[in-house]
Amino acid sequence: MQHPHPGRARRREAVTFYLLISPWLVGLLTFTLIPIAVSLGISFTRWDMLSPPELVGLRNYARLLDDRLFWQSLTVTARYTLMYVPTELVGGLLLALLMNQVDARGIRLLRTLYYMPSVLSGVAFVVVWMWLFHPEAGLINAGLAQLGVQGPRWLADPHTALTALWMMSLWGLGRTAVIYLAGLRGIPRELYEAAAMDGAGAWRSFVGLTLPLLTPTIFFNLVLSVIATFQTFTSAFVATNGGPLDATLFLVLYLYRKAFQEFQMGYASALAWVLFALILAFTLLVVRSGRWWVYYEGETP
Amino acid sequence: MTKQTVLILWAALCGLLLSGCVATEGGLVQTVVVTATPTAQPEGAKIVLRVGTGDSGEGLSPHLRIIEQFEAENPDIQVQLEPVGSGDYYARILTQIAAGDPPDLLQIGDDAVPMFVDKGAFLPLDDFIASEQYPLDTSIYLPGVMAPGQWNDAQYLLPKDFSPLAIYYNKKLFDAAGVAYPQEGWRWEDLLATAQQLTRTSADGTVEQWGIQLPGPWTTGFEYWVAAAGGQLIDAEGTTFAGYLDSPEVQRAVQFYADLYHKYGVAPLPADMNAFGGGNSEFDNGKAAMRLFGRWPQAGMLQNPNLELGVAPLPAGAERAGVLFWGGFGISALSEQPEAAWRFLRYYVGAQGAEVWKDWALPSVASVAESSGLAADPIEGVWLAELNHLADRAYVFTPFWGQTADPALRRVLESVILDPTADVAALLATAAQDAQTALDDLRP
Repeated sequence: MQHPHPGRARRREAVTFYLLISPWLVGLLTFTLIPIAVSLGISFTRWDMLSPPELVGLRNYARLLDDRLFWQSLTVTARYTLMYVPTELVGGLLLALLMNQVDARGIRLLRTLYYMPSVLSGVAFVVVWMWLFHPEAGLINAGLAQLGVQGPRWLADPHTALTALWMMSLWGLGRTAVIYLAGLRGIPRELYEAAAMDGAGAWRSFVGLTLPLLTPTIFFNLVLSVIATFQTFTSAFVATNGGPLDATLFLVLYLYRKAFQEFQMGYASALAWVLFALILAFTLLVVRSGRWWVYYEGETP
Repeated sequence: MTKQTVLILWAALCGLLLSGCVATEGGLVQTVVVTATPTAQPEGAKIVLRVGTGDSGEGLSPHLRIIEQFEAENPDIQVQLEPVGSGDYYARILTQIAAGDPPDLLQIGDDAVPMFVDKGAFLPLDDFIASEQYPLDTSIYLPGVMAPGQWNDAQYLLPKDFSPLAIYYNKKLFDAAGVAYPQEGWRWEDLLATAQQLTRTSADGTVEQWGIQLPGPWTTGFEYWVAAAGGQLIDAEGTTFAGYLDSPEVQRAVQFYADLYHKYGVAPLPADMNAFGGGNSEFDNGKAAMRLFGRWPQAGMLQNPNLELGVAPLPAGAERAGVLFWGGFGISALSEQPEAAWRFLRYYVGAQGAEVWKDWALPSVASVAESSGLAADPIEGVWLAELNHLADRAYVFTPFWGQTADPALRRVLESVILDPTADVAALLATAAQDAQTALDDLRP
């Protein structure tokens, strides 16, 4: 009985809370949650945006099973994820270890340079890479020709197009590296000093110290990377438009094509929900696996 | 990293995860250009017309010039141009139509006409054209430029600009090789012979100069080869691909196109497989003697010091035929002021508008083509003469062309360009089947 009207005070506090977060809440509802809910509804219809939507039940989802291009886009996306995620995790870590040299001269400049591609407009750097990959006039094949090697036709060849997009994407390793760098900085120096005193060399302290303490960061990067790769769009949209012969037809690109080029909104929405379910399933899988290999400071191992 | 930091990062992650089920939009850009009004009018008296266009940048200049002139002559109307400067113009106007608020006048490209008109997005214009007060004399137009705006025997859109296909050639390379310039009446055999004479290979087997630069797996451009072979990609009812898409005529067209790349080796392979085969620059660099394409890059070519530009008519196969690329304007079925919209449209596509357009693209009005000297010009005259040989493009037979046979045909073209040993007949048979399945699924 310290306060005469405890309920009222709590209510006022709640009102203040919702008032304060309302700008964000309105944005979230209008531009994210409601459209997401609506897209689920649309996925059960046939809708070209010009005539009223027509309810078709689960037809769109059933059609997916027979759609050769859907399976092709799934294969492309899976292959790319298998190629890209490991290289991003390992490459980003190597880059971060290099950038973690505190005393090296010019290290700040180097860090900025490595991070720079992540800030650039996606379309702009894809266009630059398209020139690098040009089969006749491109720098890459010109370099290979110097070595006496006849370079492949890169983006114009279904066998090399996905690899070319993968090479292109390594340009963005700096973003992962910066997160790793933050993780590396979080490891107390005393631990290394203690390890050194115990006679551990560089490799031993990396394997025994750095890696285990870095597992939460690796875990975070892994999840981030899986989600982002499933949503790959820009590079394929600009550089290959899904070709040649659908070799780079990513799931999101196929979705975009169905929605904004063929205007089959119902089918595209069904694709979007399948994509969402896939990403959710893989993310949960990764999160579940985390308990076996992720070590948090303060926990007893 | 401590657990708290991880939690904060997780919160940021949730947003990323959720964004997975919202369709990606390729960055819509919309700007509203409001032109200055010449005379002061009381605000309430003005009718404001909105005009949607997919043009952007320098391409907006002719629109703005025409609008300025129109407003000066029609002080009761103000025209707002709403350009959508990216590939997402159709997505944008479809969204506006679905929301019930599209611009009064909409610009549409040829192959989108059936889809939009079939769903009732445009008003039929025939009553306006025949009206007492603001009639439009349709006999002023060059042949073939009205047809792409028609659907089910009614006129829905009127021509803005257009381009046929033709063959650019570089006189420097022809002169150096002592080869005669191509003339009307030449045939596929002549094209091949000319291209072979102009292809030069060095001692180590690399090609130093190509006969002709082709537009890769560009399906709409490929319709020229089909028409010239005497083929047709779909039946006239718009229901059947079998026996059309895989007919002997279409096989001949695909085979000849593929042979130019592989068997005869007179055309450079596409540098990328994007639409239009945009990665090739052999012709611009003076390394290819001819190029098959539309009129769009001509202004730049005329400035190019590597080129001494000539334009030749399309060569005849079994038929003398060509295809047209076209953009037009129509009045939205949702417009609340169709009469005012018609007054502007009539001005825009009529002789006054054509007078402005002639400096940017080919004019659609015959008298303007004559008086400006374009019809007699050695280059522009060739483009205009192509209008006498137009064949129907496949999209005029079905609103579903772009979702059915277009991707199937594209796969065939990509396959034959990538694989010199590809079986053309088998590829076309599969394509006809795929297209038919897709069509049966979409037709009501």
